[in-house]
Amino acid sequence: MILYILKRLGSIAVTFFVVSVAVFLMMHAIPGGPFDGNDMPLSEAVRAKLMARLGLDQPLYVQYLNYMWGVLQLDFGVPYQSPGETVLQLLANAWPPSLLLGGLGVLIGAPLGILLGMAAALRRNTWIDYIASGIATLGLTIPVFVISMLLILVFAVWLNWLPASGWGKPERWILPIIAYAAIPLATYARYTRSAMLDTLNRPFVTALRAKGLSERRIIFQHVLRNSAIPMVTVFLPMFIGTATGSIFVEAMFRVPGLGSFFVSSIENRDYPLEMALVLIVTLMFCIAYLLSDIAYALLNPRIRVEGRQ
Amino acid sequence: MKLVDIVGLRVSFRQHAGVVDAVRGVSLHVEEGESVGIVGESGSGKSVTCMALMRLLGGAADVSADSMVLDGVNVLDANARTMSALRGKSAAMIFQDPMTAFDPVFTIGHQIVETIRTHRRISKAEAREETVRLLERVEIKNARDVLGYYPHQLSGGMLQRAMIAMALSCRPKVLIADEPTTALDVTIQAQILQLIKQLQKEFGMALIMITHDLGVIAETVDRVVVMYGGKVMEEGPVEQIFDNPRHSYTQTLLGSLKAAVVNSPAAEEPQSAAPALELRDLSKIFVLKRRGRIFHTLVDHQAVKGVNLVLPRNKIIGLVGESGSGKTTTGLMAMRLIEPTNGQVLVDDSDISTLDHTSLKGFRRRMQVVFQDSYSALDPMMTLAQIVAEPLNIHGVGTYRKQTEQALDWLERVGLDRNFGQRYPHELSGGQRQRVAIARALILEPTVLVADEPTSALDVTVKAQIIGLLKQLQQQLGLSMLFISHDLSVVRALTDEVVVMYRGRVVEQAPTAAIFARPQHPYTRSLIDAIPVSNPRDRRLRSFLSAADIANATPRLSRSALAADADAAELPQLVAFAPGHLVEAVVTQ
Repeated sequence: MILYILKRLGSIAVTFFVVSVAVFLMMHAIPGGPFDGNDMPLSEAVRAKLMARLGLDQPLYVQYLNYMWGVLQLDFGVPYQSPGETVLQLLANAWPPSLLLGGLGVLIGAPLGILLGMAAALRRNTWIDYIASGIATLGLTIPVFVISMLLILVFAVWLNWLPASGWGKPERWILPIIAYAAIPLATYARYTRSAMLDTLNRPFVTALRAKGLSERRIIFQHVLRNSAIPMVTVFLPMFIGTATGSIFVEAMFRVPGLGSFFVSSIENRDYPLEMALVLIVTLMFCIAYLLSDIAYALLNPRIRVEGRQ
Repeated sequence: MKLVDIVGLRVSFRQHAGVVDAVRGVSLHVEEGESVGIVGESGSGKSVTCMALMRLLGGAADVSADSMVLDGVNVLDANARTMSALRGKSAAMIFQDPMTAFDPVFTIGHQIVETIRTHRRISKAEAREETVRLLERVEIKNARDVLGYYPHQLSGGMLQRAMIAMALSCRPKVLIADEPTTALDVTIQAQILQLIKQLQKEFGMALIMITHDLGVIAETVDRVVVMYGGKVMEEGPVEQIFDNPRHSYTQTLLGSLKAAVVNSPAAEEPQSAAPALELRDLSKIFVLKRRGRIFHTLVDHQAVKGVNLVLPRNKIIGLVGESGSGKTTTGLMAMRLIEPTNGQVLVDDSDISTLDHTSLKGFRRRMQVVFQDSYSALDPMMTLAQIVAEPLNIHGVGTYRKQTEQALDWLERVGLDRNFGQRYPHELSGGQRQRVAIARALILEPTVLVADEPTSALDVTVKAQIIGLLKQLQQQLGLSMLFISHDLSVVRALTDEVVVMYRGRVVEQAPTAAIFARPQHPYTRSLIDAIPVSNPRDRRLRSFLSAADIANATPRLSRSALAADADAAELPQLVAFAPGHLVEAVVTQ
C-alpha cells in the first residue's frame, strides 16, 4: 500500500509537470499581452519597461523556469489585475465564498441525490422512479445559469421570499447553494439508482432473503454497503469541482468568489494568476483521485485483504 | 402433518417477449425428516418451485396455487414479517455457487452471526460461539480464523461448508439444497453430499435436493420427483425410480447415466506412425504478485511440472484432475495458446514449441480446441455459418461460397439443421452451441483436438448426446483427442487412456480399463471413489484423504516389482508399474 501511494505521488508529480508546461505554452500562445488593452493605451517605452520589470521580455523557457522555481517555494507571483496583493492573498480572499457555497451545495446535494436514487431503485418502474429519474435528468441537462435564473425568478421575483443576489447575510446564500447542489444531486441520484439495481440483482441478495433477514436490513446494511463502494469514489473529485466555484453561479448571484477569475485571468493575460489557478486545481484533483482510490481499496475487502486458503 | 404441501402450483414470468410458463400445476409434499430429490434439466421448473415456496421470486413472477403450506403457514397470503420469520427458521437454503451467495463485503462470521441473531434473541458473543461450533460441525478445522475471513479468501468447497453452517444455524425443519455441488470438484462434491446426509440425520431435518444429476439423487435421497417442462413427470421411492422408471423421460435420464458406463474400446491397430501429439517435459511457471506490507514480492507458481505425454493417432486420452491441477494449462500449452516455460510440444514429430507466429499457422490447421463455455467461445455478432466457416477463411481454403457451403454441411454433420446457418449464438441452447463449437473445430479436419471440459456446463441428457457425437466424429475422422475433464464417468465412457494430474504433476497414467480396475496412486483412488453411485443401493460411507494423507500414502515399490527399471530414490518418480501403466511412486531397492 505504501509503495502504491509513493508510486501514485510520483505520477502526480509527472502530471503536475506536464500540465504546467502545457498550460504555460497555451497561455503564451494566445496572441496579445497583459498591456495590450485599448482603453488605456501605454506608450511603447512604458510598455517595454513594464514588460522588462515583469520579466516578460525574456525567452519563454526562462520565464517558465523562473515561475516554477517560485511555485516550488510557494510563491505564485503577483496578479497583474491587482498588483497590490500576491496571488495567494487574492485566492485567500476569493476562495472562501466559493468553498462555502459550493461545498455546502455538494454536502446537501449528494445525500439528497442518494436518497432520491434509493427511492428510485427500490420502487423501480413506478411513478416514484419516474419522478426521481426525471429530476436527475433535468438536473444534469438544464445548464446551471438557467437553473439560477429560474431560482431568482421564482423565489426572489414572484414569491419575494429570498434576496436575488449579493453576499454577506446567510439568507443570500440559499439560492446559490441550491444552484450548486443541482449537479451533485442529479449525478448521485443516477449513480445510486444504477448501483443499487446492480446490487439488488446479485444472487447474494436472494440468499439474504432466504435466511430471513428483514427487507430493511438487507437494503440498508448489505445493498447500500455494496453500492456505496463506487459512490464513495466520485465524491471528492465532485467536491473539488464544485467548491472551486462556478463563474455562472457566481455571476448570477453576484458572489465575490473564485469562479470569475478563471475567465478574467485568461482575458487579461494575467499569467501568474492563471498558472496558479490551474496548478492548484490540478493538484487538488490529483490528490482527490488518489484519496478516492485509497478509500475504494479500504472499503473493498477483495482488494484490502488478500489470500485464499 | 406435512411439512411442505404444495398443490397445483403455477408460476409464469412476464417478459417483454410475452409470458413464459415456468411451472404448470406442480404438486409436491415433504414429510418431516424426509429427504426428497427434485431432478430435471435446466428450465424444468425445479428451482422455481422451491423459490416460490420461499416466496423469493421477484415482481416479474405470477404465482398461483390451490394451496401452498410451509410448516403450517399458508405461504400464499402470509405477510412479509411472517415470511421473514419462516425463512431460515422453518426452511433454509443453500445455493449452487457459494461464491456469489455470500455478501462479498462482510466476513463469514458476521454473516452467520447476523442470521442467528435474526431468529434468536441471544447476545453477539453467544452467537459467535455458536457460529464457531457450527463451523466446526461442518468440518472446518480453523473455525475461529474463518470467522474473520471474507468470502473471497475461502475455496469453493470451504465456502459451501460455511453456507451449510449458516443454513443450519437456526435449526431449520427443512433444508433446500439447490444444486449444492454443481460448481464443485468431484472429490469435494462427494464430501459435501456426505456432510449434508450426516447433518440431515443428526438434526432430524427434511431435505429437498434440487439437482440435474441423477448420481447426486442416488447418493442422497429417499424419494424422487422427476420434473420436465414445468410439470411433475413421475414420483416415487428412489429405488423404484432407478429400477422401474415408468415415464419415458425418466428412462431417457437413466439411459444417459447408464450409457456413460459402457465403453467400446477402439480396435487395436499397429502404432507405426509418429504420435499425433507429444509433450516432452512441459512446464509452466506463472509469476504471481503477492502484496506485502510495503513491497510486492513476485512468487513463482509452478502450475505444470514436467509433464510427458504421448497422444497416439486415432486415440482419445483423458486428462483428469481437480481444478488447479494444471490440466487446462497443459492442454492450452499443447495448442501453444499458452507459452510453455520449459519443454517441447511435438506435432507429427516436429517441434512447434519455438516456432514463430507465421510458421505456426500451418500447424494450427492440424490442431483445434473446444472450450467449456460455448457461450463465450462464440462471437455473438456473427451468424453460425460465419462462425463455422471462419477457420476456412483464416487459412484461405476455397472460395467464399464454398466455405459457406462447407460450413452448412458441417452444421448438418453435428446434428443441426442447415437453416441454422443464419442464426446467432444467443438463439441456441447450450448443447446446440457446443455442437457449433465442435463443427468450427473440426471443419479444417485437424489431426489433434483438445476438448477442455466440453460437457461440464450441459444437462445430463445433452451431455450424453455431445459425448456420442464426439466419439462418432473421432472415429469417422481418425482424430486424436486430448479430453480434459473432471467428470470421471464421462472419461470412462469416452477415452482409451487416462492421465491423472495432481498439483501440476502426472501421478498416474494407464489404459482406461486398467486405471478404473486397478488404480495405484492414492489420489486416483480418491477420485474414483468420489464418483457418485449410479444406483441408490450402492450408497456407502466414504472416507476422504487430505493432501497430507495423499502425500503419506504415496506407493512404495521395490525395483523388482517394476515393469521397466528405475533408480531407487527417496523422492517420488513416475515409474512403470505394469506395461503401459505408470504411477508416481517411491522406488526402493
